[in-house]
Amino acid sequence: MSLATFDRRIIFGVIFLAVAAPLIVPIGLVSEVSPGTQQFYDLIEQLPEGSVIMLSFDCEASSWPEIGPVADALVRHAMRRRLKIIGTSFLSEGTALGYDLLTRLTRQTGMPYGADWIYLGFRPQYIAAMLGMGESIQTEFPEDYTGRPLDSLPLSRQVRTYADMALVVSIADDTMPQYWIEYAGGRYGVKIATGLSAVMVTTFTPYLDSRQLAAVIGGLKGAAEYERRLGIRGSGSRGMDAQSTAHLAIILLVIVGNVAYFAGRKKP
Amino acid sequence: MRRSLPLLLVGAFGFAMLVQYFTPLPAGRAIYGRVLEWMQVIFAAGLVLGGFNYARTHLRKVGRPGGDRVYSALALAALILMLAAGFMGGIERGSLFLWLFDNVQVPLQQTVFSLLAFFVASAAFRGFRARSVEAALLLCVALLVMIGRIPVGEMMGIGLPESARWLVDVPAVAAKRGILIGIGLGSVAVALRVMLGIERAWLGGSR
Repeated sequence: MSLATFDRRIIFGVIFLAVAAPLIVPIGLVSEVSPGTQQFYDLIEQLPEGSVIMLSFDCEASSWPEIGPVADALVRHAMRRRLKIIGTSFLSEGTALGYDLLTRLTRQTGMPYGADWIYLGFRPQYIAAMLGMGESIQTEFPEDYTGRPLDSLPLSRQVRTYADMALVVSIADDTMPQYWIEYAGGRYGVKIATGLSAVMVTTFTPYLDSRQLAAVIGGLKGAAEYERRLGIRGSGSRGMDAQSTAHLAIILLVIVGNVAYFAGRKKP
Repeated sequence: MRRSLPLLLVGAFGFAMLVQYFTPLPAGRAIYGRVLEWMQVIFAAGLVLGGFNYARTHLRKVGRPGGDRVYSALALAALILMLAAGFMGGIERGSLFLWLFDNVQVPLQQTVFSLLAFFVASAAFRGFRARSVEAALLLCVALLVMIGRIPVGEMMGIGLPESARWLVDVPAVAAKRGILIGIGLGSVAVALRVMLGIERAWLGGSR
């Protein structure tokens, strides 16, 4: 069978098995904690108890299996450190995903809404909203996600602008952190960190080197490393099993493809 | 007039916001705050307009004979259902809106996106060949990064994660940094051209 006539359903089958099998029967692979993940962990760890952080869910549902574990680990760490959380989003799908995640995790720990966390919801024009929050969060978001007046929530009365926040974290699958760096970080001086899909990490490393970003955590691997640092085994670690076997399957396919290619070339 | 007024407005607002950024005067901050509010109103209006346009386009398609009308009818039904669920039942956890989002939209989008893994694997098998020195180099780097980014690479204990990290953090970031600086300079140039009225493509039309 030549490469041209090779049935690609076999490749699809191999990838399906490589992804599905470790999700059904976990392997339990352990990721070493990389310096980047440790830097993010230390950043959260160094914030004083009661500090306010903003989590912006700037991602689409399609990338949530990769970004969700990052967000999950960060929220768990923030709750463990007793940080107060303000959630928001500048992508409509990220709005519901972020709200769902925060509601689920805060219910588990009994974190009261309004005092320890609030959810601002969605604004369509992110640049204006980012700049607007530097002037007044209450003007930008008069009501929270569910329509409650912001001034009726104790945490909101405590936080008026970025100056009252210790950190802004953008959970993103695209270039949204760049706007956070330019408009919130550049203009108002708030510290920015980001949790990204793995493919976006290289885009933001220059900002990390120039200290415009305080920390970057990337993809399922980053989530798995963060979970290890937190001493838990969550969706990042489980997903990393599947990602590992999928990578190995693709490497194997590339090697087989090249062997077949060179073997075919030698034939007269 | 139809073209000069928008050009004049863009130029005036562009330069006013530029000057405002470097001016600590209270009047400047007040104008800045008001402009930010206008931006939100304009974008929110654009969103509503987009919704109406979406509905109009699909209503037209539903009226036309052909197999595609079914999809347009479904798109309209989904729009009405989500609007009704959101406005009538709220958007909190446990609401119909969030249930539909979590159990219909999220799995659908994730399914479509996950198909990429199958196509990437198939394309890599068929097209990723060491046909030349450059292609062989690219192939080796790709394989090294792929294996260095998973725990198996760490377990081998031959410095694969460090090598993969170096490849991602040094050569790849060097190229990316160059691109970013280029984009930054290009953005400044385009912004100045728009503000000065040299760049007029955004106005539309043939001129």
